[in-house]
Amino acid sequence: MAKLKAFTQEWMNAFRRRIADSKEYREIAGNWEGSVSIIINPDPARGVPETVYLFTDYWHGDVKDFLVCDKAKAESADFIMSGDYIRWKQIARKEIEATKALMQGKLKLKGNLVYVVRNVKTVNKVVDLLGEVDTLFPDD
Amino acid sequence: MFYDRDLSFIYYGPTRIVFGINSSRDIQAEIEALGCRRAVLVTDPGITKAGLLDRVVKSLGPGCAGVFSDVPQDTGIEVVNAGAAYARKCGADAVVSLGGGSVIDTAKGMCVLMKEGGKLEDFEGVQLLTRWQTPHVVIPTTAGTGSEVTCMAVVLDKRKGQKIFLLENYNTPRTAILDPALTEKLPPLLTASTGMDAMCHAVEALHSIQREPITDGIAMHAIRLLVRNLPICVNNGSDLAARGQMQIAATMAGWAFNNSMVSIVHAMAHSIGAVAGVPHGIANGILLPFGMEYNLPEAAESYALAAEALGTREKGMGEIEAAESAIRAVREFTVRIRHPQRLSEAGVSRDQLAQAAELSVSDGAIIWNPRPVPDSSDVLELFQKAF
Ligand SMILES: [Fe+2]
Repeated sequence: MAKLKAFTQEWMNAFRRRIADSKEYREIAGNWEGSVSIIINPDPARGVPETVYLFTDYWHGDVKDFLVCDKAKAESADFIMSGDYIRWKQIARKEIEATKALMQGKLKLKGNLVYVVRNVKTVNKVVDLLGEVDTLFPDD
Repeated sequence: MFYDRDLSFIYYGPTRIVFGINSSRDIQAEIEALGCRRAVLVTDPGITKAGLLDRVVKSLGPGCAGVFSDVPQDTGIEVVNAGAAYARKCGADAVVSLGGGSVIDTAKGMCVLMKEGGKLEDFEGVQLLTRWQTPHVVIPTTAGTGSEVTCMAVVLDKRKGQKIFLLENYNTPRTAILDPALTEKLPPLLTASTGMDAMCHAVEALHSIQREPITDGIAMHAIRLLVRNLPICVNNGSDLAARGQMQIAATMAGWAFNNSMVSIVHAMAHSIGAVAGVPHGIANGILLPFGMEYNLPEAAESYALAAEALGTREKGMGEIEAAESAIRAVREFTVRIRHPQRLSEAGVSRDQLAQAAELSVSDGAIIWNPRPVPDSSDVLELFQKAF
């Protein structure tokens, strides 16, 4: 299968499908409820001319909306994670770990840290599954 | 010493340290050095009663914009919001906190609101801020929390019944004034337990999965200072030389865990604190050797370093043997400083352990533990051993 262009709706659908199809995710994520948005800061030199807003929604092991969205929708999420394009790419490729990146200020989180950490296995699984999506990044 | 080949980390510790007996008299100059003119002083009723507030108000002179002394034992968002409103009314451009963890966390929250406006609830999160916050000078009155050099503030949201966290590098205190004279009157048990909190920060930084060479070095020296000086402070609180070394140890341990994080012992201490009201330092002091025993299969290298610092690693000792000597030494040390040994001595009842174990596995600190904790049964077993 051809690689999917990162941050497109098609790519989001594939990401959503990965999670929905994962039995392991369903088991781990039983407690998680709430939406998470991902904000990717623009990086014109690497092919990201403007801010990218993504919205993902999870409910007790199920997955709901996965959307490329606008600023208002992204800011309506329960948890908002933002960071530079290069950091997100490193996370998707598992070159850096999401929790560590947060603590070091490479990513920002708006929302209840305790909840996120309590569900860190869910977060890590989502990141793992993201890494499995065959992705063509803007600067590849 | 070996670290992973792909070791990568950021060490961050921007706080200026001013140390010396009666160094708190320099507060005015330190405020001016930050380019500020008038500071609001944040403290609690205990400090006021002990006469420590008067001393600092006097040293601040005309630089004191006002005093906010309504900080309770565990601070809440309504306290921080009220403190910030007061600071604005006074026209303060800096914050001085005089006290222990709750006072310092209140002041940290106020610094954000004084710079950014709004309510504390709006700033719940991690590294959200993009500029330096209101300058904050901390004058600790205990030697333990290390909060004078950390980027973290924990504040209770009573309405939601949960703690909110603010982790902001840009809100790390600018200056810490370590004045041993201010800790002189700390009673022996409080001296011992706050000191064990610092010991725990150092040991947990050493065994954390985020450990790195800089924090390892800092943590080891913090342990050396603690071992030498905490027993002296417990036996003779007015030995200001030892009090001073304790403050330095606590600050160093603060740097270590602010970067490397804490893990299972703190997760358990937070939980038994929430369930049974055991003070943070006491819980840590009791649980530390049990946590180390649990981690031994994964953290022998770290504990061998601890043994070097504790002075128990003898020539020719292998890593495991050295690590075991560290665990024994920590246990003996807590006896020497007359620290409680069992949770049952600290007001815990056996039927509270299961709930505390359950809470521990969902505590943030547990993710940095060197030995993965599969479920709450492991923690319950530890609690039972420590009971
Ligand atoms: Fe602590």
